[in-house]
Amino acid sequence: MAKQKYDYDLIIIGSGAGGSAAATLAAHDGKRVAIIEADTFGGDSPNYSDVPTKALLHAAQLYDEARHGARFGLRSNTMGYNYPSLGAWKDLAVKRTGAGGNNKYYEQQGIDTYHATAHFLTPNEVSINRRHLSAERFLIATGSHWVPPQVQGLDTVSYLTPRTILDILKPPKSLYIIGGGTTGVEIAQLLSIFGTKVYIAEIAGRLLPSYDAEAGDVLEKLLHEQKGVTVLTHTRTLAIEKENIAKRVTYTRGGTEHSLRVDEVMIAAGRAPNVDLGLENAGVEYTAKGIDVDAHLQTTAKHIYAAGDVLGRHGFTHTALLESRIAAHNLFTKSKMTPDYTATPRLVFTYPGVASVGLSEDDCLKRDLHIKKATAPLNIIARSNTSDFRDGFVKLISDKRGVLLGATIVAPHAAELIHELALALKHNMTAGDVAITPHAFLSWSEAIRVAAAKLS
Amino acid sequence: MPSTVANKGIVKRGGKRPSEPFNPHKLHVSVRAACLSVRTPDGEAEMTAAAVTNAVITWLHAKTEVTSRDLRRIAGGHLRTFHPEAAYLYEQHTNIM
Repeated sequence: MAKQKYDYDLIIIGSGAGGSAAATLAAHDGKRVAIIEADTFGGDSPNYSDVPTKALLHAAQLYDEARHGARFGLRSNTMGYNYPSLGAWKDLAVKRTGAGGNNKYYEQQGIDTYHATAHFLTPNEVSINRRHLSAERFLIATGSHWVPPQVQGLDTVSYLTPRTILDILKPPKSLYIIGGGTTGVEIAQLLSIFGTKVYIAEIAGRLLPSYDAEAGDVLEKLLHEQKGVTVLTHTRTLAIEKENIAKRVTYTRGGTEHSLRVDEVMIAAGRAPNVDLGLENAGVEYTAKGIDVDAHLQTTAKHIYAAGDVLGRHGFTHTALLESRIAAHNLFTKSKMTPDYTATPRLVFTYPGVASVGLSEDDCLKRDLHIKKATAPLNIIARSNTSDFRDGFVKLISDKRGVLLGATIVAPHAAELIHELALALKHNMTAGDVAITPHAFLSWSEAIRVAAAKLS
Repeated sequence: MPSTVANKGIVKRGGKRPSEPFNPHKLHVSVRAACLSVRTPDGEAEMTAAAVTNAVITWLHAKTEVTSRDLRRIAGGHLRTFHPEAAYLYEQHTNIM
């Protein structure tokens, strides 16, 4: 057999959602594929974020529901939990994904795996542990990492991240979370259910600032009233210092400086793409926000594509998977595909859940769009009575003709409910189309029909 | 010299010249020379070179092999915060001379 010019047809750097789908597709297509992972195989989602967090949240929400079951006639006063056992459940959930920390998952598909940090030496060559590997094409899917905010003294104290907090042996007595986005809110609810006094500081005027205003307001109310979480919006954390075994946090809110003492601090205020892999040597242009790609996910080096969080765009696992599949197609074909982000759902796995798709009201204002909107509170549908849950809503936004532009749901099982509206958005359906579709009595999705009927 | 630093490989000129182990002293001397070239006092040049070398060593921590171009880029980036003129000379001296 003639000697190949390169060791591989495709080298994928990063085995998370952005890399794994492309690796599988290319390997099934008969390409010689290698995947290089610097951290744990499977990436962030199955090992350190989505899967373990949702496994713990599921257990926490079950516990919380049961504890508050007296109103249904349930005797649950003696309910308790064993935190190490919860950790074991979380580890089992990670293990069952098959991808988490498991390089055999890839090797069984004929993909060579390397557990090392990759660094480009030339456009077609990377170094891993001083071994040089070459490939005709590359896919960069190195993901992102949590970035500590500029807070005085943060570098002198130990702090937790959404990754490390999942491995604590017992919930801290008090926790100060910097960042009221999706992850901050999920961890706040998780630990407050297990008895931690949580303070959550967000620089914006509400929790979940990237969602419609009403979603953040409802969640703030529920976290405060039901879980005792202190929500500090419009808050800038100024300094953190060690105080015996605890930490003293100084923050400013409403022009006044405050301080409080907490056991632990967690940062969840932003992520940055992992771009320190010698991209300059490969001719790949990037900024601190991520790698520059065109509509086909091709970088400034024609043989190198990028997908997932390293692009610095969305940060959702399902978006990374979509981009990975598109990149796998574009890497080896002349007819290029473009990822369509129109109907990408955004989810918060709290109870109630928050889900949105398409444009928010703020997005429409920024685009100067003439819109119609309608909101259906959950308490007007029958399910809220049988489940004794009355907070939450479905909000729909359409253009003047009634074509749906966006939707936000705050409800139990919001993550499941949103996909009906994602499908409607994807296919340019009107609110009327949704309203005339039968929605089962006593399902939460009745609220979608009510909101759609108001718009049509 | 920390033992870990000696294990770092430097690929020179895209592999056209033989690779060599990372030598912090060599980096220190080159940064110091760039500072002295723009008439920085000797003591300040020494301190700047030490700070830049330490920053590069920290950056190298998780890496096993980088290119000489990477070293120049990272060292130049750190030097720019201390001494922009020296950084310019450090990064461009091959083009100037």
